[in-house]
Amino acid sequence: MFLLYMNLLEGVASAVYSRKKAYCKMLLHAAKYPHCAVNGLLVAEKVKEKKKDSHSAPILCVDCVPLFHGTLALAPMLEVALTLIDTWCKENRYVIAGYYQANERTKDFRPNQVAEKVAARISENFSEAAIVMVDNSRLTMSCFEPIVLIYDHHENKWKSRDVNTDCFEDWLEAQKITSALLEGRSYENLIDFDNHLDDLRNDWTNPVINKSVLDLC
Amino acid sequence: MASVSELYDVGWEEMRDKLRKWREDNCRNSEQIVDVGEELISEHGSKLGDDIWIIYEQVMIAALDCSRDDLALTCLQELRKQFPDSHRVKRLSGMRLEALERYDEANKHYDAILQDDPTNTAARKRKISILKAQGKSAEAIRELNEYLEQFVGDQEAWHELSELYINEHDYGKAAFCLEELMMTNPHNHLYCEQYAEVKYTQGGLENLELSRKYFAQALRLNNRNMRALFGLYMLAGRGTKENKCSVKAVEEMLESMQITMS
Repeated sequence: MFLLYMNLLEGVASAVYSRKKAYCKMLLHAAKYPHCAVNGLLVAEKVKEKKKDSHSAPILCVDCVPLFHGTLALAPMLEVALTLIDTWCKENRYVIAGYYQANERTKDFRPNQVAEKVAARISENFSEAAIVMVDNSRLTMSCFEPIVLIYDHHENKWKSRDVNTDCFEDWLEAQKITSALLEGRSYENLIDFDNHLDDLRNDWTNPVINKSVLDLC
Repeated sequence: MASVSELYDVGWEEMRDKLRKWREDNCRNSEQIVDVGEELISEHGSKLGDDIWIIYEQVMIAALDCSRDDLALTCLQELRKQFPDSHRVKRLSGMRLEALERYDEANKHYDAILQDDPTNTAARKRKISILKAQGKSAEAIRELNEYLEQFVGDQEAWHELSELYINEHDYGKAAFCLEELMMTNPHNHLYCEQYAEVKYTQGGLENLELSRKYFAQALRLNNRNMRALFGLYMLAGRGTKENKCSVKAVEEMLESMQITMS
């Protein structure tokens, strides 16, 4: 869904529908728990060959796994989640490529210590990990513009980069689908890892929402 | 859009009972409350009798949560008409101002209540919520500590304080708050499990040992607490040889849990 680097896409031949999932599910997660902070992981497809100049190749986030809502700063369940999701990634040839967070307060969109710690942990396995923060104050039903801020790690600091519609593979489709899902209150069916821990039958891969996204394409 | 009663084939009594259940369980499913409550009030208001006032309050708070200021104001006006000098209604007025981010005016409302009645806990807690909303965590923590010195038995407040400390990464103090809660609620598996999570996050040999004990205790109190089971699993593999044997036991428990839950 996101191009972690603002380079031209060169013949990335994958079905377009799989990308919108990431942006949709992130916003649905934030919408489901408006009074809480929420967070989750972003996954990308694993690139087999590492070319010499691969650091400039765009990385496409294809899916996201919503993690927790409410208290984000406790370690044990986060470690359980990272372990389980890592296993799932390996089975699906994904790699955990980023972390998203929407803070509790509307006007607060800066990454905090939790965000930096998790991102640092992800960076151990994926050097170009990014932090995506949701700007709650701009979350609307219509989603006319992307409401995320993307932070990259440069020289020991997390710096935000410009975000515009070029950062998305197909912004108009993404906007349309996200808006439709928000209006239809699909977020009531969104499952995060917390929901899974409450009842193991709840599937954090969100097949129901994935299908809804597919149906809307 | 179809009405709630049509969509779910329920009568007004069921809607009223559902609202009562949500009140008793203190659920924050505000959108649902607004849907059900709004219809109940507008279509069946006359049948509700005196219940209508508490439903107005419940729907008003839910409406604030959903940014439905129109509905919130309607409910508030009805309550003001019925209970003109009530502190409880004044607090609701304050909450509406909070939702509109008019914090100074809200504070004035609460200060007026407290001048009249210094023991009004609701107003004091709203003032602390305002500090939290403004991002003034340190002040919120200080005020909440002062509040708890006076109202030592307020469990909601102890829990709120533990969350504030966790967000500030002050795990030692968060643990202290949870200890207070565990003392007064020894059978509550959720407090045990949260305490174990805090201890785990604190780290260090002693804390991990305590964490393991409290995950086990939480599991003993409720053998379906998955977080406690997972926590135990994460800790079971560490340390001495005896502990490594328990990994297998925990794995077996996990498997049987997965089977029974599906």
